[in-house]
Amino acid sequence: MEEARRDAPASLYGLDLGIPLGDRRVLIADDSRYNRRTLSRFLHWAGIRRIDVAASGPELLDTIESVQPDLLLIDETLPPIGGVALCRVLRGDPRWRDLPILMQSARQTDQIRTLCFQAGATDLLAKPVNPGECVARVRYHLERRSMVQELRAFRDRVERDLRQARAMQLALVPDPAWLETMAARHALRVESVFQTSDEIGGDVWTAFEIDRSRLGVFVADLSGHGIASAINAFRLHTLLTRLPREDRAEPARLLGLLNQRLADILTVGQFATAFCGIVDRDADTLTYAAAGAPSPLLGSRGGFRVLDSSGLPLGAFAGAVYETRSTPLLPGDTLFLCSDGLTEARDGSGAMLGEEGLADLVERAVRAAPERPFPWLMARFAERFGTALADDLTALWIERDAG
Amino acid sequence: MDFTVQDAQDSTEIRLHGRMTFSDHDTFRSVIAAFERPAGHRMVFDLSGLEFVDSSGLGMFIIARDTAQKKSLDFAMRGARDDVHRLITVAKLHKMFTIDA
Repeated sequence: MEEARRDAPASLYGLDLGIPLGDRRVLIADDSRYNRRTLSRFLHWAGIRRIDVAASGPELLDTIESVQPDLLLIDETLPPIGGVALCRVLRGDPRWRDLPILMQSARQTDQIRTLCFQAGATDLLAKPVNPGECVARVRYHLERRSMVQELRAFRDRVERDLRQARAMQLALVPDPAWLETMAARHALRVESVFQTSDEIGGDVWTAFEIDRSRLGVFVADLSGHGIASAINAFRLHTLLTRLPREDRAEPARLLGLLNQRLADILTVGQFATAFCGIVDRDADTLTYAAAGAPSPLLGSRGGFRVLDSSGLPLGAFAGAVYETRSTPLLPGDTLFLCSDGLTEARDGSGAMLGEEGLADLVERAVRAAPERPFPWLMARFAERFGTALADDLTALWIERDAG
Repeated sequence: MDFTVQDAQDSTEIRLHGRMTFSDHDTFRSVIAAFERPAGHRMVFDLSGLEFVDSSGLGMFIIARDTAQKKSLDFAMRGARDDVHRLITVAKLHKMFTIDA
């Protein structure tokens, strides 16, 4: 460090300096000792305490790594190759791509100034350097760098947190190996898609075994999306897993209990639409109850038909009562469930898929790919609506093995 | 979504237009600001200009109903059509709200 401390005023012209820059590090590259001392003094007035110097290009390149400056002041005539060429060298190195570089130059032609900017200089200082201007420009670039670094650190932290939350959310839905075992035990094929529009979202689904002949499936979509609805999805999942088996065996009772508990904890205007169905392979039935979910489709030999999924959304109205309905579900039949991320998706022209559009797409999938309609269906969906979703999306294809 | 407010002696009609979705929470706050009326005043949402509501939009209806109850206002909705009508029916909101013909 040069001796910049002596007789420095608290601030230049009595100006307010703004945010403290005492921990910022500035590297001055100038072959004139006089200039280095003058600039050091100016920087000191700017509130900068950590100043390093280099007298040539090679010396700068030697020290920059250990100094890790927050700002670089380079003289345009720095030997041996000059400031402009040096600036290009530094910008070619990813480590210094964002570093503010202030070039000081005695030559003031527009051409020289343009050359400096083209070489990657952040800003220019005319020589002889005026202290007020120098302080203002250095502070401006350091403060800007501070803000960018803060934003970047914040974004990195949030991204890290969201990545972790996302992994937790993906762990809420059934583990593929477990699901496969369970499906095989109940003579079913279960295929699923579970995607969030942001890093995390408000959809949740799960499956649960009631006994050797009955398998339950539960799909819910919390209103809104993003973090708030993801938190509510976790709450709902916890409530669901805590219900004893006998409560889960009866869909309307299950929805009633979840509604009651959610109504206690959700704020006004938040709710979950949901569908709960139990596939019973001994009775050949699907027993189900719904809370305003998109209409499920039930496919049999005669084609697909829409099941009534009307019902008050969970958590919106305390005391809501749900209805258990039952319909035949024979070997070879299919149950297709989804969240509104599918039915309300809009294509490039703004047109929505809609429930009729979805039913049509399902019929086409069965005709086009009778062995595995679901992947075909989701591929066509992605073709038309893209993969950058506006809402969370859950889709389940549950097919009973042909008898 | 856009909205217009029309005041009469004992009632206020709020006409909602366009698409009412997740991104309209801020606009909806202004709608709710119109609920600053004396007890017994009637608030009516006219939904005939609404093309679409998503589940966040349904949540906003529920917030409006709740706000009205807290302020002892009379609250009703009318004129829902197509997708909006279908969504209200699927969520059975017609059982919980006063729906004017």
